[in-house]
Amino acid sequence: MIDILQLACKYLRFNWIKTSIVVVAIALILFLPAALDLLVRHGATSLLTRAAGTPLVLGAQGSPLELVLNSQYFETKPPPEITYSEVARIEQTSLATAIPIYNRFRAGGWPIVGTNLDYYPWRSLELAQGRYPLMIGECVLGADAAKELSVQIGAHVISSPEELFDFAGSYPLRMEVVGILKSTGAADDRAIFTDIKTVWIIAGLAHGHEDVTQAPDDDGTILRREGSRTITNASTMTYNVIHAGNRASYHLHGKIEDLPLTAVLALPHDPRAGALLRGKYLRADESMQMIVPTTVIESLLGTMFRLREYLLLGSALAVFSTLSTTSLVFFLALRLRQREIETMHRIGLPRTRVLGLLATEIAIVIAAAVALALIFSIVFSRYVDLIMLEILT
Amino acid sequence: MIELHGLSFAYPGGEYQLDIARLTIAAGETVAITGPSGIGKTTLLHLLAGILVPQAGTILANGHPLSGATDAARRRFRLRHIGMIFQEFELIDYLNVRDNLLLPYRLSAVLKLEQQVRQQAEQLAHAAGIGTHLERNVAQLSQGERQRVAVCRALLPRPGLILADEPSGNLDPANTDRILDLIFQQAAQSGASFVCITHERHFLNRFDRVLDFADFARSGA
Amino acid sequence: MKAHSINCFSLIAVISLIGCSGRESGPPAEAAQVKVYAVNYPLAYFAERIGGGAVEVVLPEIEGDPAFWQPEPDDLTGFQGAGKILVNGAGYAKWLDYVSLPQSKLVHTSSAFKNQYIEISGAPMHSHGDGEAHAHGELAFTTWLDPMLAIEQAAAIDAALALPESGFEALKSDLLALDQSLAAAFTRLSGQALIGSHPVYQYLQRRYDLNLRSLHWEPDMMPDEAMWQELQALRRTHPSKILLWESEPLAGIKARLDAMGIQSVVFDPCGNRPEQGDYLAVMRANVARIESIQLD
Repeated sequence: MIDILQLACKYLRFNWIKTSIVVVAIALILFLPAALDLLVRHGATSLLTRAAGTPLVLGAQGSPLELVLNSQYFETKPPPEITYSEVARIEQTSLATAIPIYNRFRAGGWPIVGTNLDYYPWRSLELAQGRYPLMIGECVLGADAAKELSVQIGAHVISSPEELFDFAGSYPLRMEVVGILKSTGAADDRAIFTDIKTVWIIAGLAHGHEDVTQAPDDDGTILRREGSRTITNASTMTYNVIHAGNRASYHLHGKIEDLPLTAVLALPHDPRAGALLRGKYLRADESMQMIVPTTVIESLLGTMFRLREYLLLGSALAVFSTLSTTSLVFFLALRLRQREIETMHRIGLPRTRVLGLLATEIAIVIAAAVALALIFSIVFSRYVDLIMLEILT
Repeated sequence: MIELHGLSFAYPGGEYQLDIARLTIAAGETVAITGPSGIGKTTLLHLLAGILVPQAGTILANGHPLSGATDAARRRFRLRHIGMIFQEFELIDYLNVRDNLLLPYRLSAVLKLEQQVRQQAEQLAHAAGIGTHLERNVAQLSQGERQRVAVCRALLPRPGLILADEPSGNLDPANTDRILDLIFQQAAQSGASFVCITHERHFLNRFDRVLDFADFARSGA
Repeated sequence: MKAHSINCFSLIAVISLIGCSGRESGPPAEAAQVKVYAVNYPLAYFAERIGGGAVEVVLPEIEGDPAFWQPEPDDLTGFQGAGKILVNGAGYAKWLDYVSLPQSKLVHTSSAFKNQYIEISGAPMHSHGDGEAHAHGELAFTTWLDPMLAIEQAAAIDAALALPESGFEALKSDLLALDQSLAAAFTRLSGQALIGSHPVYQYLQRRYDLNLRSLHWEPDMMPDEAMWQELQALRRTHPSKILLWESEPLAGIKARLDAMGIQSVVFDPCGNRPEQGDYLAVMRANVARIESIQLD
């Protein structure tokens, strides 16, 4: 048996280009329906789990799906903004706890989510290192964001301007990383969390007064100090830096009630409170929508599952087509090897052994294809949430 | 010893017919068979090897009826007792020299691949002048080197009958002599019969007997 | 004899059983204390009176006026673990603007009377970049100096704590009594022009209809000549002979004021924990000092 295996491997290695193409082709046709199923099932489970963890979401009238995805996954474009007064409106009902969400900006490609300290225990987000943000200008990173940005506690991330020359709008803010969250396998791993007021600073809705004389020497803005003079370098206005010297000077520009949010997460105290709260937003002239994420996602998944059937049919045809082509490739390869097979017969090699050799080659190719399909599936499963999100948005 | 009696063979379609009334090759005898191309010399060799089966007549190999045996039995006999040297070498291109030599041992239960056989393969390869090429892929070898690999493969099991189909067909005279030296030497050592189809005249004198195909066989459409 | 032995045994048995049951029905286990953080002393005091042993009230160790505390991150870790965080409202404790606290634990003690906040006119103007100069609406934040508002703040704390046993009614009763005392004391001063050393008496002024204007003096800093002249100018339109201080002023200040015919009277807003006594004791001492003001 080992001889047959070794000889089969030698053949496949000698014809590595043909072998690779066949292995990849079979792997893809095995992976395609698996990926589709994985996308729909796992994606569905993942979406539903995340949605189920959020009882109610309040946002501006518009696409409920957009609102749910932006408030849950942070990767989609922000929905129309609402104001912070909606937080008080919910809290005044005494029916639910309100958690503000402002998800509009990014840092290094990762979404910055402005919220408050209630978010972390509600999502069961625990710290792997450091602490939660206690001051403006501080942030905690999800596990994946921290890993990809290669930051540790004490490092800094700088928010990106919304547009390249958006000098009159948002201004980059350098935030100190004070904590890194434990991995959860959810969207929170891929976000940068900070206090809602910090995001308002990024949006230019809160200002401080730069006192460079109090800035620490290592904040990147100080060129040198000469006695009582402080000379800054050209980076002084590259981004805002909040430090102990200017922190107290930061103030909101306007009433907090008027400042923007992208969503408010409402956590009813009990199911009855949830129903009562939803009822308050059902008026025809209501400018807000209070949605149940599970309902939105279930509706979406219903459509997806119906689509899945058609896509599976399509992929079945693709599978049949590829299998036919692959079979033809094997058949043609055998014809090309007719002389080799005839030689083995003429030498006197048993017919069963020759057939066994050929069958082993096919088996190795299929096994390699299955293994490759498995690898594809494992890698795919890791990013299925993001892929699902990409498709949905 | 090989004996043919009243042999009659035709390919499917009936466009070629070969009849041999009688042919005997003694044990240890070296026989050259000459004749024009297409007359049926290769067909005769394949009949002697048990690759083809005659429609009538008998082929006896050391008294064993080869013609009436099953395909499996003929293959086993061929593996153990017959060394075939094909006109086009018939090597397995994706294997190296060593693998080609040992292929019959690795894919059959008749021949046991022991350490002694591995050593014999190396010795045979060195004797043939290809000892340094054992790990090289046969596709990388010259015509002469490939022919020598084919010869070594045929000789390694120490067969009782060596059948060679135009062994000099693609070689220069120097290489031809080298190969024939090797075959004759191995045949003499093991007492094997050697039947060689050739149209080369300059080495016919090395054989015990030279037969013209037309002298003992009738063939044609 | 046998009957006597049986009776003794029975008695012992009964006593033992009572003893066991007494042990089994021992004092109930204490409910877990709610940890309550407060941004100023009055709120801490109200929480202590309302919650009693059911709460552990924490007022951070702050030197000076808690309203202007600038905490560092280490100071705030305790707040994150609080069961309730009592905030005053009306812009008190600017540090709340730049820190992150669990919002669900915040108790906005003055939200019920937001519409009664006093806005301070004359806040400093400033601009952002090339924008127009403007001022943010500043609010007076010593709301507790109006005992009626203090009662509402205490009520908010009581509602937030939602304890089975509450000391709110007793506290309310004390605060009502304080209101009456202050009203009586200030009635004596009706029509009198008063000066506040610092703009912290707005709610007192409104509650008791005081004729009061404010300076920006510190009790532990001798005013410069410009500030003395400001006082002189003020007295030309507001002829006051009484100046209210947050704490005892320097002897030199007091002497000079005496020479000007101005009485220095301490009315301690009690924003921070007093060295001696409690909130009510401090307020009662304030009342006593108001009552002892000598009028012409």
